[in-house]
Amino acid sequence: MDQFLINGLISGFTYGLIALSVNLIYTPTRFFHFAHGAVYAWGAYFGYLSVVTLEFPLWMALPLAVLMATVLGVGLEVSIYRPLRRRGTTPLVLLLASLGLYVVLQNLISMMFGDATQHLSAIAVAKGVALFGARVTPIQLWTVGVSVVAFALVAAMLQFTSFGKMMRAVASDPDLARVRGVDTDMVILGAFALGSALAGLAANLVALDVDMTPTMGLNAMITGVVAMIVGGVGSVPGTLLGGLLLGLAQHLGAWTLGTQWQEAIVFLILILFLLVRPQGFLGIPLRKAGV
Amino acid sequence: MEYLLHILVLVGIYTTLSVSLDLLAGYTGLLSIAHAAFYGLGAYTSALLAVNLGAPFLVGVLAGMTVAALVSFVVSLPSLRLHDDYFVIATFGSQMILFSLFNNWIDLTRGPLGIPGIPPPVMFGWTVQSHFEFVLLTAVLAGFTYLVVSSIATSPFGRVLRAIREDEVFAQAMGKNTLYFKVSAFAVSAALAASAGSLYAHYITYIDPTSFTVMESILVISMVIIGGAGSRWGPVIGAVVLVTLPEALRFLGLPIGVAANLRQIIYGILLVLMMMFRPQGLVGRYGFGR
Repeated sequence: MDQFLINGLISGFTYGLIALSVNLIYTPTRFFHFAHGAVYAWGAYFGYLSVVTLEFPLWMALPLAVLMATVLGVGLEVSIYRPLRRRGTTPLVLLLASLGLYVVLQNLISMMFGDATQHLSAIAVAKGVALFGARVTPIQLWTVGVSVVAFALVAAMLQFTSFGKMMRAVASDPDLARVRGVDTDMVILGAFALGSALAGLAANLVALDVDMTPTMGLNAMITGVVAMIVGGVGSVPGTLLGGLLLGLAQHLGAWTLGTQWQEAIVFLILILFLLVRPQGFLGIPLRKAGV
Repeated sequence: MEYLLHILVLVGIYTTLSVSLDLLAGYTGLLSIAHAAFYGLGAYTSALLAVNLGAPFLVGVLAGMTVAALVSFVVSLPSLRLHDDYFVIATFGSQMILFSLFNNWIDLTRGPLGIPGIPPPVMFGWTVQSHFEFVLLTAVLAGFTYLVVSSIATSPFGRVLRAIREDEVFAQAMGKNTLYFKVSAFAVSAALAASAGSLYAHYITYIDPTSFTVMESILVISMVIIGGAGSRWGPVIGAVVLVTLPEALRFLGLPIGVAANLRQIIYGILLVLMMMFRPQGLVGRYGFGR
């Protein structure tokens, strides 16, 4: 039981981190960037490339992987989404384009690295330390720490820096922000950079803790989306809350129903929230989710 | 020759899927990515009935369509209150839940092991066995689907669906119960997808959950959009293009694994290019609000 709770919390912090990266991009752009899942998966494979193929030490390899994921995410925004947005396309068209991009990027991973599960075997399998009567690996502790720090930094950034203020302005009303002289394209570019970097970071932590497959991105992306919707679009604490709720629900579900239903539980929670409280815990009501 | 006929059967099955999805995505503007789940419901229902109870083909087809229509009501419940991309996310969730049932309800579906030994369709004393006979049967199904969808589209009912797509609030203001129209369109679309699933199960004789993944749903929506959503021939053209184009790759002598990836990369790129330069598709007029 303790083990399930602790594992649920650890997963929750991971989901929270992914959801934060999704939320950063969704809040100013208001479309579901599905290819973000592919940026996430590529992040892990960039890690594989630098750790296993190039044999860089971890302290050098991980920042490099995060940087490459950032470049990929920003590249998608600049080459595909920005031209589409300039033509005044709807969020639905952007979503469809991102689905196409996702399919392309996922298959590129399969072609280059194969479909088999890969590991970042740089760190020897750790025995794990005892914590509240449960076993926890050092990587899992790192994951929780990184997640907490990332949440604190992003919350502070949004609250106190001028970039954060601009981002909130674009999120609440892009036209008004533009009238007031905010460069919305710059803000969105920043959101893509930050979101992609966090996704790359999360992917490498997951790859270090478990493993990686070419299809890991879609599930991560959609779990992030669900955690964001549950927590509330645009709300940083809500996102962490959403991630923790999903993590705990999944692991308690695994404990009572069996591990095979873990994925279904996430989507049942999604459907439940969309039915009862589409704006999530802490979000503002959305017209799109209105009755 | 067998190979060519096999491609024709696939074209027929995917035409049925994309035309039926067009009723929902193109005419009503509800972009569902749960279509492969309804396709799977049809396949599993008729396969289980045929293998376990020896039910005749047509009974299996009708049962599959009924199950899919009933499940579509459940899926509609949360989905239809949502708009645009929130609707997409909700159908994504439904797709994942249904896939999880196919994959994990081991007692019923045998999970990843799949269901082997599905008998060939028999109806009115006709046993459909050769590839050529299957081409005839899929052509009948695809033609039937086309007729159903195009007659709905040209009827007053279809006009309301298009009105919902263009401006739902306006349609409501005109006194239309839009929920009723959306639920009906969803049910018809799901039932038609299920019929394609039944045919697929009896044709391949073996089904497992990997045929009904979210990637399959994305493939079908790509067919609708690349061909042209909300148009009569768009989804047909989309299905023909996306089934036959990747087959050409076979003749390049690529290893099978790479060819499968390349096939998906091609339709992914096509989807992106279409969104950038021609969101209304090859022959369509509706460009998702553009």
